[in-house]
Order: sequence, then C-alpha cells, then structure tokens
Amino acid sequence: MIPCRRLLPGIIAAFLMAAIPFSPVAADEYSFDVSETEKKDYTFGGYAEFRPVLAAQDKDAGLYRLKFYKSGGTRAAQEYNSKLQLEGSYQRGISRLYMRLKSDLNNTYKGWNSGTQIYEGYLSVKPSVSADIIAGKKVMRWGKGYAWNPTAFVDRPKNPDDPELPLEGYTGFSADYTKSFEGRLKTITVTPVILPVYHDLNDSFGSKKHLNFAGKAYFLFYDTDIDLLYRAKGSKPAAYGADFSRNISTNFEVHGEAALVADTPQTITDEKGNTSRKVFDAKSWLLGLRYQTEINTTYIAEYYHNGGGFSGAAIADYFSFVDAAYDSYTGTGSDALMQKAVNLGNSGYGAANPMREYLYLRISQQEPFNILYFTPALTSIINAGDRSFSLAPEILWTRITNLELRLKAMFLSGPGGTEFGEKAGDAKAELRARYYF
Amino acid sequence: MLKKLFAFSLIALMASAAHAIDGDALLREVDRNLEPSSYEMYRKLINIEPDGRKKEFVLYMVRKGNDKVAGVFLSPASDKGRGMLRLGENMWLYIPNVGKPIRITSLQSATGGVFNNADILKIDFGAEYAVEKLEDKGEEYILHVKARSKTVSYDRLNIWVDKTRKLPTKLECLTEKAMLIKTLYYKEIKDFGDGIVRPSVIETDSPLYKGYKSVMIFSKIKKRDLKDEIFTLTFMPKVDTLR
Repeated sequence: MIPCRRLLPGIIAAFLMAAIPFSPVAADEYSFDVSETEKKDYTFGGYAEFRPVLAAQDKDAGLYRLKFYKSGGTRAAQEYNSKLQLEGSYQRGISRLYMRLKSDLNNTYKGWNSGTQIYEGYLSVKPSVSADIIAGKKVMRWGKGYAWNPTAFVDRPKNPDDPELPLEGYTGFSADYTKSFEGRLKTITVTPVILPVYHDLNDSFGSKKHLNFAGKAYFLFYDTDIDLLYRAKGSKPAAYGADFSRNISTNFEVHGEAALVADTPQTITDEKGNTSRKVFDAKSWLLGLRYQTEINTTYIAEYYHNGGGFSGAAIADYFSFVDAAYDSYTGTGSDALMQKAVNLGNSGYGAANPMREYLYLRISQQEPFNILYFTPALTSIINAGDRSFSLAPEILWTRITNLELRLKAMFLSGPGGTEFGEKAGDAKAELRARYYF
Repeated sequence: MLKKLFAFSLIALMASAAHAIDGDALLREVDRNLEPSSYEMYRKLINIEPDGRKKEFVLYMVRKGNDKVAGVFLSPASDKGRGMLRLGENMWLYIPNVGKPIRITSLQSATGGVFNNADILKIDFGAEYAVEKLEDKGEEYILHVKARSKTVSYDRLNIWVDKTRKLPTKLECLTEKAMLIKTLYYKEIKDFGDGIVRPSVIETDSPLYKGYKSVMIFSKIKKRDLKDEIFTLTFMPKVDTLR
C-alpha cells in the first residue's frame, strides 16, 4: 500500500503540470478559427478530480460511535478521494447514444477502495424537435429546489451539502413531447416515465417485481415554470406533487415545491430500541428564492418542511438508544444492539437531513474586488427544529481554463441529541481540484 | 436681404429634416442590419485581464423573432454542453452535471467578465428600448434610448449609429441615474453573406472592471427557420443537435 502522504505532493504537482499549457499568454489579435465550430458525430470529455479531506471527529457523537465502534477511529481523520468522470456521445441521424461513467479511487478509514459506475447511459431517438424517446439509464432531476427536491419522485436524493454533484440515474423508458404556443401559455411538455424494478435492475429504487409509472407535465404559463408530477404506487408509495419557479425581476427569482407521498411507512424506535411502524401521508413543501444584489452578491434561501421526517423527540430517542447500545457493547462485548441501531440508521435516521424543518442559506460573491473567476461563498443548513446547524465557507477559483479549484471547510454545531450535534464529525476541510478535458 | 432669407430657410429646412428622422424607425433599421430576425451563429467570447491573460468561450446560438434565443457552449471543456435559453424576459441556464435548467437573471454572467447574460442572449434593441432623443453628430447619430420596462437589464442606452451603414459603432449602458455601467465598441465590419453586413467584433470595457476587457467575435451568421419548440427547457440539452 502506498502511503497517501507521499502520494499527495505528486498528485498536486500533476494538476499544476496539467495547468501549465493554460498559463498566461501574451495578448494578441482576436482570432476565431472555423475549426473551432466544426461538428463531429461523436463527443468525448469529462474531468479528473482529486479531493483530500481532513476531518475532526466527535468521538462522543452517536453517528461516530455507529461508524467506528468496531474499528476505533481517531480524532483527526484524513481521506484522499480521486474521481474520473468520462462522458461521450455518438449521434447518427435522429438517434444519439450517450454514456457517463464515474470511477473512484479512495483512501478512507476503510482503507483503499475503488469502483466504477455507469451514472447515465441511454439511447435517445428524436423524430422531431417536439419529441424525444429515451431508453436506458437517465437522471430525471425533477423539482425546482436548490438544496432539496421533495418532488424528485424518480431520482436518488441529492446531497444538500453539495447539491450540484452529479447523480446516478435509474434504468427505464421515458419520453418528452413539447408544444409551444403564442400567448400567456407558452409551452407544454409531457414526460411519461416507466421504471422496471426486477432482480438487480433498479433494486435500490424500492421493492422488487414492479413496473413503476410516473409522469410530469410542464407549463410555462404567465412567465412561470409550473410542473405537475405524479408517481403511481408500485415499488414506492403513490406520490403527487407540484412545483413552480418565476423571475420577479431581473435579479430576483422565487421557487417552490409541494409533495404528498401517500401511505409513507416509517419505523421509529424508543430510547430502549423498541421499534414500531407507522404509515401516514407525508406532506412536504419547500419555498425558496435567489436574489442578486447590484454588487453581484447572490443569496439563495430555502425553507424545507420534510413531512416524512422524524420529530425532535423521535431523533432524541434514537440517539439515546445509540448511547445505550454503545454502553452495552463496551460493557458486554455484544454488538447486537449496535447492529440494530445501524440498521435503523440505514432505514432513515442516518439520512442527510432526517428531521422535519430546515433552512438553507447560501451567500456567494462573484468576483469580489474585481478578481475575475474568484467566488467566495458561505453556506449554512439550519435544523429549525433542534437549532443545530452546519456552516461551510468556501472559495472557488476558475482562472486557469478547465481547472477548477475549490477550498471548503465545514463546521457542525449542536448539543447532544440534535441532528448536527450527533454527526460523526465536528469540522472538516477539503480541497477539490478538478481538471476538465 | 434675399440671401440672408435664403440661408435662414435652408438652415431651418436642414434642421427640420434632422428632426423628421424617426428615432424608433432608425433603431429598428439598426436591429435588422445587425441580425436577421431568425438565425444561427457562432460566437467567441474572450475575457482579457489587465496583464493580457485571456479566457475564451465558444458558443453556438440560435434566435427566433424578438423573444426567443438559445445557445450552447462548445468550449472550453469545463463549460462544454452548458445551455442558455431566453424566452421573453425569462432566462435559464442548463449545466450538464446539474442535469436540469435553473432560472437565471439577466444581470448574472454565465462566463464571468464584463458581458452579462443579457448581453449574450441579446434581442432587438427596439423590443426593449424606446428612443427618447436623437442627436445629429455629423457622420453619426446618437440615439438616447430608455428601457420600456423595469425588467430590462440597463435603464438607458446611448447608441452611436453610422449614418451611412445604419450600424452601431459605440454603445453606452447606463443606470437610471446615468451612471455608466459599460461601453461596447462595434468593430471590423464583415460581409457574412446573404445580405448580412455587420460588425464582426464587439469590444467592451467597464468602469466597474477597471483594466479588464471582454470581446465577442461573430462567425457564420446565417438566416434559418426554427421551430418554436427549440426554445423550450426540454430542448436545452439538445441545442447542439441543430448544428
């Protein structure tokens, strides 16, 4: 095994070497070569990413104990993550093949691990500009929210700490049919989706042996984006939703989502680990805005009510149970209760934001002090139920063509029994160097 | 006495002729000379820093009528596949990694630098501005125009128009209080064929970005009939297929 500390300088040097051809050049006359506009039948591109992380762990936190109770972690933890994303397409006539692959090579507390996944891979047939028929693995990305999407009925949940990360799609069939009009109603698009869940196909979507149907109808009406969304009962419960987005002025956008997931099952535990199951209609909604000031400061704010989330008392009970299970493990050596706590964590308690009321705020300043391609930002996710929160300052620098450097820190704050107080880490810092080709 | 009367009459006639020019009609003529109402084109955007360092973007763009513009970035690799769409005052940005269009505002900039989204997704001047005053400056007119609504990016424009070619040579973008935001210089007139003769380069600078300069170079401007459905959110990831 190669020690990561010896790898790090080499990888950083490789990135800087890659950047050299894009370093400053003398200004000359403008040119626009025709070859820059030539189209090929195929495209190929992607990026290589290196992301070292230094984290300060909270050894008394519930989720830390669940994660490290066997292996025994350390107060300071290092990770070295690298990723290669490749994407390519081939177009012939009205048909287009598209593929996006992700390969990881990481060194974490688990040691070295690697893997390759097809994030998207589909065939698109476009008989006219109005219609598109798609077969294969594709991300739908339904919903208008930036940090959360309660109406994303056929997508994997995105990471609110980094909402713009690529997602893995599901395999199925979908189509788009679009019609444009003059007048208040400018556009209608209908998108039916079929997702089969059998054996290993889409097995993470929900229960197996179902052919799932979903659909979306989009309207651009009175200069407002409006979606009506539906998922039929199948591998997951039936779901109904709507969303909207609208520019109020040249620098002010508002958006929102509302979703009803019928007969949502939820397993809850008391502080002793006695579980019960309830089924209810989960009503979630989100309201958000994006506002840009005259000096190019952008504010993104969202309030999210997660109707399928746990109450503050339920979360406190869960972490009390984790503490009791840990005491039992250290006292008797039996990890039966810890295993039960881990399983409960996987069933929902350990989700990114498992509770009910959240506030998201992001403030970014584009090119302050006339420094081009430099964007500092501050992001906070606040659990409005238990008042715990995360705070993440970052700086992004894209001066060198095709090289993106992001330095980000994250601090979590909250007492015991609260969401962010019980996360495994107290703070972390990461550098993300991404080179596009 | 007769000579004086004749001279006075001539001056009065010339003055009235200048006043007789319809500013809005001239603005419409400038719009049509700059671009056909429905077209495809390629653009290169160059951001130049005070020390001469440059960053370049290449876009393919289509436009239909006075409210529909769409574009896709062809390079650099970090921006390849990004799409932009304007439908009236609505604007969206599609980022392939994010996978869905998000609403953007006209004052933001998808490329950084002096050009903002409204500059990149520009529609006719006459659609957004009304002429308030026309000045005759010998070989040029200066059109002083005011935004027709609050949703337009710049409250006021001063447009210098070449009298012969009826094409802009310089344009100042101003706030409501007449503060200069940026100046655009139209350069290098080129024959693109099919009767399209227009400046092929626009340079811009801004007192808000001292020492920085951005340049837009135009290529392969062609008239093209386009369906309305091209200018929709669903089509944003597919604009490149039109090429």
